[in-house]
Amino acid sequence: MTMNLFNQFLSPTFLGLPLIAIALMAPCLLYPSPAPWWQSNRWMTLQNWFIGSFIKQILSPINTKGHSWALLLATLMVFLITLNTLGLLPYTFTPTTQLSLNMAFAVPLWLATVIMGFRNSPTHALGHLLPEGTPTPLVPILIIIESISLLIRPLALGVRLTANLTAGHLLIQLVSSAAFSLLLSQTTAASLAVGLLLLLTILEIAVAMIQAYVFVLLLSLYLQENV
Amino acid sequence: MMSRLVILSANSLKGSGPFGAGLVHASRSLHTSSQSRAPVPPLPETGGKVRHGIFPEEIFQLLYPKTGVTGPYMLGTGLITYLLSKELYVINNETLSAICIFSVIIYGVKKFGPSVAAFADKLNEEKLAKAQEVKDLAMSGLTQAIENEKKEQWRVEGRAMLFDAKRNNVAMLLETNYRERLHMVTNEIKRRLDYQIALQHLNRRLEQEHMINWVEKSVIGSITPQQEKESIAKCIADLKMLAKNTQAKATV
Repeated sequence: MTMNLFNQFLSPTFLGLPLIAIALMAPCLLYPSPAPWWQSNRWMTLQNWFIGSFIKQILSPINTKGHSWALLLATLMVFLITLNTLGLLPYTFTPTTQLSLNMAFAVPLWLATVIMGFRNSPTHALGHLLPEGTPTPLVPILIIIESISLLIRPLALGVRLTANLTAGHLLIQLVSSAAFSLLLSQTTAASLAVGLLLLLTILEIAVAMIQAYVFVLLLSLYLQENV
Repeated sequence: MMSRLVILSANSLKGSGPFGAGLVHASRSLHTSSQSRAPVPPLPETGGKVRHGIFPEEIFQLLYPKTGVTGPYMLGTGLITYLLSKELYVINNETLSAICIFSVIIYGVKKFGPSVAAFADKLNEEKLAKAQEVKDLAMSGLTQAIENEKKEQWRVEGRAMLFDAKRNNVAMLLETNYRERLHMVTNEIKRRLDYQIALQHLNRRLEQEHMINWVEKSVIGSITPQQEKESIAKCIADLKMLAKNTQAKATV
């Protein structure tokens, strides 16, 4: 039974063909492209409203130069939120539980912000390594600590998303298998477990959306520092 | 959504969904008619009808002639029973989590569905209202312009009256001026004529006086000294008599 718990995280293949590509492309089908007419239906209106308000909120602290990242951040947000929430359905594969995918998002984007910062204003970017008002003897140690924290950012970004989603899915599997195995013999315990499962599901929906938002928010913060 | 597409596209190509907009081209794949996008067929107001949230109404209509009202339900029940009994679908822990997630989703949709739909409709209404406002403003601006133009035309009609009044004014001024001059001329002529009359009167008076003087002179010249003595004696006799009469009156 312990082996089964992690089977859900195996990259899906069918007769040796990797299905991960379909798993990554399929969510796009849920979002209709804008219609050529002026006033769209409810789904399009909601989509437009959501992306518009999200971008407005995320980009408000960033200066005009960083606004070229708007498309990237919006796409990333919609992609992550879709993948996360679709993964909560039964028998689905969540690509964001794969560390490779999350690191593939985190490292290039973080590195892009850092390189942009060092190219445009290297002194300003280096100045971020030393917080204001530190006492002089602490300066060398603090610089080392700050550089380590800078370098750990992509790791943190990727691992945060992976760990949260993997843990959530694992918990759901665990609690549901506990409830299932107890269902016939000890029904009250099973009903408690089902109640726990319900709460957990609600939590997982929230976590799915929040983790995607946090990912994009942190990227926008790194961008704000460096642009 | 996808099942609807599959079903509908099997029946006719002019289906809904993402293929609908591109089907103008499909109708003239042999280029036999001229390409025209107008008149565009009207869009449906609401989405496709579904029963129980996911099953399109078309399936029920499809099965109705052969199996009646309960047909699709029997089909669904039979399908599920088949899957379960043949263990094509195994009930395991995922089933429980599936039940949980679907109940959460259905609860969410039932509870927040109408409000989200109303919100989306409100956004659309606001967009429409903005455009309508622009149109209404333009229309009211244009009607106002029409009214202003009509008023200007009315004013132009009134200008003729203004010109008439001015013309009358000028005519009156001219008339007055003419009358004044006439009056002046009349006065001048009267003065000249009066002068002539006064001259004539003067002449006549002079002639009269001259004649009177001549008559007096000739009368006084014709008085002889004898006549003078007689008249003086008569005057003295008269005076004496008068004095006597007066004295007599005074004593009485």
